[in-house]
Amino acid sequence: MLLPWLALLCLSLHVLAAKDSAREQLVQLASKNNGVVRLDEKTYDLLTSPDRDWSAAVHLTALDKRRRCNPCREFDPSWNAVAKAWSTVPRSERDNHFFATLDFDEAPTVFQKLGLASAPVVYVYPAAEGPRRPASGKLAPYKYDFSHGFDAEPLASELSRHTPVPIPYKAPVDWAKWGTFAVILVSGIITLRFISPVLQSRWTWAIGTILTSLVMQSGYMFTRIRGMPYTAGNGQWIAPGFQNQYGQETQVVAMIYGLLAISFLMLTVVAPLQKSPQRQRMQIYLWTAVNLIIFSVLVSLFRTKNRGYPFKLFL
Amino acid sequence: MILRCQLAFFVSLFAANLAWAGHSFENTAIVRTVELGGASVHVTTAFAVKALEPKSSVYTIALSKNEHQKTSWLEVRQKGQQAVLPLQPVLLDAANDAYIYKVEFSKPLAMNESVNLILDTVQTHATFPWPEQAGQTDDQALKYETDLYVLSPYKTAVQRTKVRALSPRILSYTTPEGIEFTTENPVTKSGATVTYGPYHNIPESSSAEFVTKHQKHVTVHYNHDFPLAEITTLKRAAEISHWGANLNIQDEIVLHNAGPTLKGHFSRLQFQSSTFYNRASPTVLNWFTLHLPAGIKNVYYYDQIGNVSTSRLRAAPSVPKSLSGNSNQYSIMEVRPRYPLLGGWNYTFTLGWDAPLSDSTSFDSKTGKYIVGVPVMTVMPDAVVDDAEVKIILPEGATDIEFFPPFPAKNNTISTHISYLDTVGRPALTFHYEHLTDKHNGIIYVTYKVPFSAHLRKPLAVATGLIGLFVLSMGWRRVDVRLDTKQKL
Amino acid sequence: MLAYSLPSDISPSTYVNAASLVRIVALGLISAAAISSRLFAVINFESIIHEFDPWFNYRATKVLASEGFYEFWNWFDPTAWYPLGRVVGGTIYPGLMATSGVIYNLLHALNLPVDIRNICVLLAPGFSALTAWATYMFTKEMKDESAGLLAAAFIGIVPGYISRSVAGSYDNEAIAIFLLMFTFFAWIKALKTGSALFGTVAALFYFYMVAAWGGYAFITNMIPLHAFVLLLMGRYTSRLYVAYCSWYAIGTLSSMQVPFVGFQPVRTSEHMAALGIFGLLQIVAFAQLIRSHVSSKQFQDLLFVSVISAAGLGMAAMVLLTYKGWIAPWTGRFYSLWDTGYAKKYIPIIASVSEHQPTAWPSFFMDLHMLTFLFPFGVLALFRQLRDEHVFVIIYAVMGTYFAGVMVRLMLTLTPCVCVASAVGLSQLIDTFVDPREPDVEQEKEGGDAAPSKQAAKKEKNAAPITGVGAIDDIVSTLSGASSPEKDKSGKTKAGIFGLDTRMVVLFNTAAMLLFFVLHCTWVTSNAYSSPSVVLASTNPDGSQHIIDDFREAYYWLRMNTKEDAVVMSWWDYGYQIAGMADRVTLVDNNTWNNSTRLTAGCAAHIATVGKAMSSPEEIAYPILRKHDVNYVLVIFGGLIGYSGDDINKFLWMVRIAQGVWPDEIQEPNYFTPQGEYRVDDQASKAMRESLMYKMSYYRFAELFGGGQVMDRVRQQQLPKQSPTLDYLDEAFTSENWIVRIYQVKKEDSLGRDLKSANGFAQGKKRKRSKPPVKRRALA
Repeated sequence: MLLPWLALLCLSLHVLAAKDSAREQLVQLASKNNGVVRLDEKTYDLLTSPDRDWSAAVHLTALDKRRRCNPCREFDPSWNAVAKAWSTVPRSERDNHFFATLDFDEAPTVFQKLGLASAPVVYVYPAAEGPRRPASGKLAPYKYDFSHGFDAEPLASELSRHTPVPIPYKAPVDWAKWGTFAVILVSGIITLRFISPVLQSRWTWAIGTILTSLVMQSGYMFTRIRGMPYTAGNGQWIAPGFQNQYGQETQVVAMIYGLLAISFLMLTVVAPLQKSPQRQRMQIYLWTAVNLIIFSVLVSLFRTKNRGYPFKLFL
Repeated sequence: MILRCQLAFFVSLFAANLAWAGHSFENTAIVRTVELGGASVHVTTAFAVKALEPKSSVYTIALSKNEHQKTSWLEVRQKGQQAVLPLQPVLLDAANDAYIYKVEFSKPLAMNESVNLILDTVQTHATFPWPEQAGQTDDQALKYETDLYVLSPYKTAVQRTKVRALSPRILSYTTPEGIEFTTENPVTKSGATVTYGPYHNIPESSSAEFVTKHQKHVTVHYNHDFPLAEITTLKRAAEISHWGANLNIQDEIVLHNAGPTLKGHFSRLQFQSSTFYNRASPTVLNWFTLHLPAGIKNVYYYDQIGNVSTSRLRAAPSVPKSLSGNSNQYSIMEVRPRYPLLGGWNYTFTLGWDAPLSDSTSFDSKTGKYIVGVPVMTVMPDAVVDDAEVKIILPEGATDIEFFPPFPAKNNTISTHISYLDTVGRPALTFHYEHLTDKHNGIIYVTYKVPFSAHLRKPLAVATGLIGLFVLSMGWRRVDVRLDTKQKL
Repeated sequence: MLAYSLPSDISPSTYVNAASLVRIVALGLISAAAISSRLFAVINFESIIHEFDPWFNYRATKVLASEGFYEFWNWFDPTAWYPLGRVVGGTIYPGLMATSGVIYNLLHALNLPVDIRNICVLLAPGFSALTAWATYMFTKEMKDESAGLLAAAFIGIVPGYISRSVAGSYDNEAIAIFLLMFTFFAWIKALKTGSALFGTVAALFYFYMVAAWGGYAFITNMIPLHAFVLLLMGRYTSRLYVAYCSWYAIGTLSSMQVPFVGFQPVRTSEHMAALGIFGLLQIVAFAQLIRSHVSSKQFQDLLFVSVISAAGLGMAAMVLLTYKGWIAPWTGRFYSLWDTGYAKKYIPIIASVSEHQPTAWPSFFMDLHMLTFLFPFGVLALFRQLRDEHVFVIIYAVMGTYFAGVMVRLMLTLTPCVCVASAVGLSQLIDTFVDPREPDVEQEKEGGDAAPSKQAAKKEKNAAPITGVGAIDDIVSTLSGASSPEKDKSGKTKAGIFGLDTRMVVLFNTAAMLLFFVLHCTWVTSNAYSSPSVVLASTNPDGSQHIIDDFREAYYWLRMNTKEDAVVMSWWDYGYQIAGMADRVTLVDNNTWNNSTRLTAGCAAHIATVGKAMSSPEEIAYPILRKHDVNYVLVIFGGLIGYSGDDINKFLWMVRIAQGVWPDEIQEPNYFTPQGEYRVDDQASKAMRESLMYKMSYYRFAELFGGGQVMDRVRQQQLPKQSPTLDYLDEAFTSENWIVRIYQVKKEDSLGRDLKSANGFAQGKKRKRSKPPVKRRALA
């Protein structure tokens, strides 16, 4: 008659054992592949089992070449970096949170189950039981928002709000960059004494200034900040819309501005130095013509950007 | 209130000489017609009077207390005559608390001679919305209360009261009980008219015992299909400029929809659909028209946050003053508030215009005086102005000023108004009025002198100012303020 | 040898007088043009305050005009940032209000009872005339009067400046640009003459600038940078020392008198450059002093090293102080100029402002037109004779173009520099081609061979008197101030233009360009920059203008028909307008990004709170509304007439800002469809469809179409036939074109039920079991 009690006891023990074994398994998997659990259907269910008392961050991706998922490949390293950083946490804390990666080609069914059409996606599953069960009782996985880009810092800082302790992630020191920088610095200092006449000549600076102003005025910063492509895929190089432009536009417009500026320069500075009346006259007419034509080109370009601009010059 | 009591006390002395008044006349018939309206109600009472004594020339009309409070305008004529009969100031017959007006006939009546008197009164705030709340598309119903019997210190042979509404939809009316002056039923309704009476052989009804014994209140509850616009305050400023030959009139108006207050909330959807099917609901004041004088220029219409773009003006050409007497052509201003005014909503706006001075001013070469006429207000149809202030700003330096308002103001003051580049400021007359109705659109006439020097004052002042400026700058240019005069800047 | 003859019998003094008269007339005309070209808004619409911030400035100015300066100075505005309130006096740049207050009182002292509104509306055009004058003075220092006039004309009508100074845009920039230019002028003047007087003038105008505009930091860094570059170029002079020290000492001390600035000049990084240069100058000056006394090579080297090291130490000290936190690091907005990705990541409120976006080239061309390419040429011209003041413009050019590229609104600071430089260039062109003198032909024959030989020049010297050029020469040079550099280098006219036709061609071309410029400016001004976003204009079928006045309709309704102390919640864009036009209490207003740096945590949380209320379902929003005792909620909805600037289009920013504070309650992705699209139609995500904003925008919208297909004309999407329903709010007012929709927040149900079930009960439905009220309480 003691049997039922025993049975019960065993059962409960067994349950506990099962859970622990699951945890052990995951820990091993994680340690095998430095800090990241490579998932398939089975291990996925294991990881996200409804009675889990650990939290997990799952990274669903498609790294295979055939999938042509560039963002996946772009994001993968920073994910691994963060996971690696987590594996440096003392064991007691580390085993309460797991980093896992699930590749589409290894477990397509999971993607179907989650109804995912795009990758990469990062889900964070809160602990369903135990002390770290969220107070709000919401067990639905939290979806990471890629609006901050694919860098590691935002990822780490974001995930740290779900891990037992903040992820001790540090951006790796880019030795290459520093090295090149140092080299350049040294070489610069060395060459300084040789190129100092160049640096002291006003015209170097003049050219620098002019170029800056030209490039800036033709919307270089816009393309930089917005990360605009050089041209549209279909070879069209003028971006539609007034508040929008492609990389090539910057160059063309800068060129146009430059030409016009040069035409003025020629007229004002160079032409007067010309000694023979005929040549001078020719020059003057030439540059005036250039000025007019290029300007009308510019205006027509502007009209393509801003429909409803009423004015036009020749073309 | 206290003041009224005192008045009552003083005036009660007159009770004595009212006593005999009862015998000098008798009313062969009294017909009172009440034209139910919105904010204002026109009451016309016709007395057929027969003299019982020779040489009786002063007839007495009585109004009950609350009737008197409502009445904002009152005049008496003999039937068929245009001339208004002179009215002696109001007295309170304290004994019977009724207000007494004494009318003097143009010529005394002989024995048994009879005459028809017409008493025209306009009552304001005599009606009130009932029910007090209504939805956006509900109907608008008003209640009007009055006394059953017309008060009169004389015996009355026959009397009847007709209450006429604009629409035949009269919801209810009281049927007075226990009337011993009539045999058939005391009240009959036909169409839009409710008739009380005829009642026969009524004794002196203004006496206290009659009132207590017989007087009854009757109430008529009727549908009114037009919004109850009410102008809470009207500030009018008229500025006269001889240099610009221009009379600028500006009204600051606080408008209130006195209809039943809106129940629930305003739904634009409903409003738009109802205007689309043009079933404009009676409680919504969407727009109204004003008749501005002819020949006005650059009319402006704005409120505290700028122009109100939704309003239209159809201007009529200017009319020379010679025939402006019978000028019945106006510039029609279609005023449209920013938002439709529902029951209980408020809206304030300012409306102004320039009119050629010659249309309203003339120069009297004999006395060397200018005469200018400024209308008290622009009548807004079926609206009551609770509190009006009219300010007439005369040109700078105007002297010996006289003014003749069409009807006495509550009070009036003379102040100084300083405007563009004035040196001494302009004299300004201010008149205060209360409870103005469409009967009150009179003209205030002001006469004044403007010496030639006064005309010149402003240009001279400006000129001196500018010259002073130039002189200063010349001086400055010629002064060298450098400490070290050797060094050249 | 002249291309065309000048009357030579007129005395130079006559020329000078005539020229100065012409200049004065020209300046007068330029001012007139500058003012009148800014009046389009008044003519097309009316004399009204534009946009958002100006409404606050206007309101503050009214307080100043009616209550007097001290009342204004310590004015605490309880109606803003309810329930926090706002200490206005300490949190604004009072320069603008003070200016118009002074004008107001002056006019009234002269018995000119001008309405304060008209003063505010016309302040910007008036100051634009002053700006033109200041630019003239500035450019005069750069080249000569004629260049000055050109510059004045340019700045007078260039759209880049008009965009911020049309009549009615009553904002700090209205007066700031004038102050900027005049401060720079005084600085240059001080630098050239080394007079402490002009240094002080510069300081005083700098103070005025600090009191007027947050952009004063530009001056605070431009002048030190100029001084620094001059030092690097080895152009240290006692004049520089005097000018800089007088400017810095007085300027900084006076700028600290503005309560809003306070101790920043010594505590924040933006101001450290100025301080550093000040210190450096002292060291350099000291070094110079010593150097002038001692003359031993080694010692001088030692000195040089010590100077450098001292400077280095100074730098290090500052860095340390910053690190220690004694000096505040760069503020977010300043920082976001350098690290362009910064704002979007960390300060969404700043990033959300449209005028903080980078500039594409069309807007450059739109705002500057032909100046865009005249400007580099002008800079080059400045390089040819690199005087100290020219260095200033050059630095300004580099800085200005960069900043303008990063932020649209900084186009404003670039514009004056562009005008100055291009004016210098253009006037040089014109000088060259107007100058009647021709090179001598016979000397030009043998001069045909290469480099200009000295003897050619010598020959020319003694040739000059013969050719009678000399007589004209001084006249011409008196007319066109400094004569062209070639002549400075070697005596007389070596370079020049032959023939009349060449002159004609070029001058005609230039004139035509200028004409085109004027046309362009007029068009841009009248079309792009002259609409007071409070009133919208559309055209009727018959072409006449139709005014859409919904904003004022709704605001005035609020003002007239709600309780005096009613609290209105809206997105912060409309805070100032509600305060100004509806005169009601607001939760948040445009003050948010103006100075997000000094926002108390309360304020920041406030905005997020509003964002959360707008973006969460009714049951969650309602307790928030009640907690802040909101009576009315106001939303802008353009779906009916296609007004694209409405709240649904701004909605994502509300979500983002809310997400910043409640990351696990509000998440941006939930508001997109699974395909990542931003939709409002029947495919819209659940969070979207349940959000308060969505419900309030489309409440009863479908009924308007009476069963037809429901079209949102902004998003160009079809909405479900079934409009959303509201349980916790009542529609109180909707403007004529549905642009403004105002909802009243219901009081709690008298029977203690939650309003949803109360409504359900009222409509005879049974309360849904799925949502037991207990749970909702917990949420509340």
